[in-house]
Amino acid sequence: MIEFDKFTLKNGLRVIVHRDETTPMAAVNILYNIGAKDENPERTGFAHLFEHLMFGGSINIPNYDEPLQMVGGDNNAWTNNDITNYYLTVPKANLETAFWLESDRMLSLAFSEKSLEVQRSVVIEEFKQRYFNQPYGDVWLHLRPLAYKEHPYQWPTIGKSIDHIEKATLEEVKDFFFHHYAPNNAIMVVAGNVDTQQVKELSEKWFGPIERREIQERNLPVEPTQNEFRSKRIDSNVPFDAIYMAFHMGKRMDEDFYIIDLVSDVLSNGQSSRIFQSLVKEKNLFSSIDAYITGEFEPGLFLITGKLVEGVAMETAEAAIWEELNKMATTKVDEYELQKVKNKVESSLVFSEISYLNKAMNLATHELLGDADDINKEVEKYQKVSVADILNSSAKIFRKENCSTLYYYSKK
Amino acid sequence: MKNLYRNTAPEFKTVDSVEILPSLKHSLSNNIPVHIINGGSQDVVKIEFIFNAGIWQQKKPLIATLTNTMLNEGTSSLSASEIAEKFDFLGAHIGFSASKHDASVTLYSLKKHFSETLALIADLIKNSIFPEKEFKTILTNKKQQYQIDHQKTNVLAKEKFTEMIYGKNHPYANIYDSSEFDNCSLQDVKEFYKEHYTPNNCHIIIAGKVDDNVLSEVEDLFGINKWTNQSPSIDFDHKIISSKEKSAFVCKDDAVQSTIRIGRKLFTKTHPDHTGMQLLNLILGGYFGSRLMQNIREEKGYTYGINSILISHLKDGHFTIVTEVGAEVCKAAVQEIFIEIKRLREELVPEDELTLVKNYISGELLRNLDSPFALSDGLKGNLPFGLDNTYFAQFIKDLKAVTAKKIMELANEYLQLDDLYLIVCGPKECEEAVAFSN
Repeated sequence: MIEFDKFTLKNGLRVIVHRDETTPMAAVNILYNIGAKDENPERTGFAHLFEHLMFGGSINIPNYDEPLQMVGGDNNAWTNNDITNYYLTVPKANLETAFWLESDRMLSLAFSEKSLEVQRSVVIEEFKQRYFNQPYGDVWLHLRPLAYKEHPYQWPTIGKSIDHIEKATLEEVKDFFFHHYAPNNAIMVVAGNVDTQQVKELSEKWFGPIERREIQERNLPVEPTQNEFRSKRIDSNVPFDAIYMAFHMGKRMDEDFYIIDLVSDVLSNGQSSRIFQSLVKEKNLFSSIDAYITGEFEPGLFLITGKLVEGVAMETAEAAIWEELNKMATTKVDEYELQKVKNKVESSLVFSEISYLNKAMNLATHELLGDADDINKEVEKYQKVSVADILNSSAKIFRKENCSTLYYYSKK
Repeated sequence: MKNLYRNTAPEFKTVDSVEILPSLKHSLSNNIPVHIINGGSQDVVKIEFIFNAGIWQQKKPLIATLTNTMLNEGTSSLSASEIAEKFDFLGAHIGFSASKHDASVTLYSLKKHFSETLALIADLIKNSIFPEKEFKTILTNKKQQYQIDHQKTNVLAKEKFTEMIYGKNHPYANIYDSSEFDNCSLQDVKEFYKEHYTPNNCHIIIAGKVDDNVLSEVEDLFGINKWTNQSPSIDFDHKIISSKEKSAFVCKDDAVQSTIRIGRKLFTKTHPDHTGMQLLNLILGGYFGSRLMQNIREEKGYTYGINSILISHLKDGHFTIVTEVGAEVCKAAVQEIFIEIKRLREELVPEDELTLVKNYISGELLRNLDSPFALSDGLKGNLPFGLDNTYFAQFIKDLKAVTAKKIMELANEYLQLDDLYLIVCGPKECEEAVAFSN
């Protein structure tokens, strides 16, 4: 049970406070309701590039990092297709420094041409490092547009291509800031060795004066139902063949989200899971294999990714995966097996609550999705899932015409 | 609101001391040392069994790692899949790792299932049987992972670097060819297990909710008369042979970035200059505000990241700078790195920068040592040097006393151009970056 207090400032900023006395630290996590899905299809990668610019100085504070480091603080941020999340931790005595820094960059950035120029290069190097300088690194650049034809989930957070990032202008940066970065489009969680009264006072003092802004309305295209099997072949300079299968599933807040999450656990969470035991250990078809869900807010993907053992034919490997999926879709799992994955989920939640920063991020996400208190209802939602649910959802998802498959061949 | 001065930083406090949850030392009745860190908010326990069974102790490549991994693959009473089934059902997580001087088995368990999960771990450690089929599968899969990793410029550059400073056959380099996977014998693994996974070769760290019950269960399963093999006391010796050549280029023609590694062999954390070098390292490349990060990333945009690090193995250590940069700026990046090192030798670090770094690292220590699990990792790193976690408090105290003058002296003593090795791995066009000299 994670206890917290919640209040909203007049300008719409939602604030959540969670006290954890076991740490001498405090975390401030600010989630902005803006992600790669909100980008112009001709300027993809922008939300993430913008995240870099948030560290390039704000209207009254030329350097974000230095004053934070001076008080023993540290920070980082991440962007995904749905949100942009900024977080920092400081020794509890220096909490006000965090409020000072975060409120100023919510008020306005410095918008420096130099910062844009440098961060464009940094992000391009990040693009190369993660997507082109790693074997199999470019998979998402192929798989997302295969699975999505209309919805903006068709591009990865880093963007469709490097030249989109090269084109970003300072005008676009300003425009983006004032349409998406605002107290009424953000959720702040303060967690750790803090108390609610202090957080209330600091929030009023530093964030209270920031004006509400008009947020650009979100109007995302709907992905049409996939009606036929899709596939693509890549020949690349990698040592082994690999296969990537993507199935459409529902939204994060759909009823069956927890069911499908458990389906992925039955298949591949832990060494006793089905595809690890059968395809890696017994049949020696894959050197590694994984099944997981993207967990995105809009209708997401159920993924199966595997690297083939040298000498195994792609068709054999693919057929073996389908055999496991068909089993899920036609035969009920044991009560025991379902209980096992539920136990694992419950245990992971207990361990994840060790970290105050983790709790801060999760509270923010739950609040954005509906209600921070949902964080305390997750176990119950998983416990409710039945063997019939697992069967029905598997049958719904694991259909050939709902599948996009990337065959990734070694040129060797 | 009145009186809100947004351009002035609020007052702050510096972290002057780090309060650390202490560890208690205990012995099982067969003398296995047990270190206990009791605390935390969750009803969970982490227990780590550490054996002197690392790369240092192996006679052939891969044996330490394979033995460690194979502990999960079957015992005299349970098959690999039965073991996995039981751990998963209890929501427990087990980790295996083999490093330079030791190998360990770590259990993360809910407190309520600790008795059952501990009994399983005891079975793995005491009764493993190393089945042939599982061994073959692991060899195949590890070999493939090796081949994938060796496509990466950062892996290739790291191997070349450690080979040059420690010597190809030294455990700290730990270099082997992919054909070694075909030469591994199960017999070697079984012998390594028998010789090294023994009570007189073991110590234990327990963290989390540790009460008397936990301790008595550990005593019951690992204490006297339950586990009798003994390791012979052998003193393994490995000589370091550093290369006379100080630079190397590793060609990876299809790479779109090159990895740069610059560094040298140095010393362990018990050396009197270690704390000063830690501070120097921070200033140069040890945190986001470091000079290299600010210059190479935030000023020039050559890279997504650049870091420097001090590594302290038990008997020796090294210092290294690592980055991945676009091929077209490789030479320029190498030049800038040398310029930053030269500045440390020739200019005193300004007082405000020194203060900032000292404040930052104090906060970092507080942040990184705030839970029993994190402290158990810290303790694991300190114990081989005869230290415990009081080391961290002393470290902060000593670090705060380091002056700008001292840092300049250290830079002159340890970071002369002639002392440094330079490795570049990337496409052919980057080769000229290696030819660079002052």
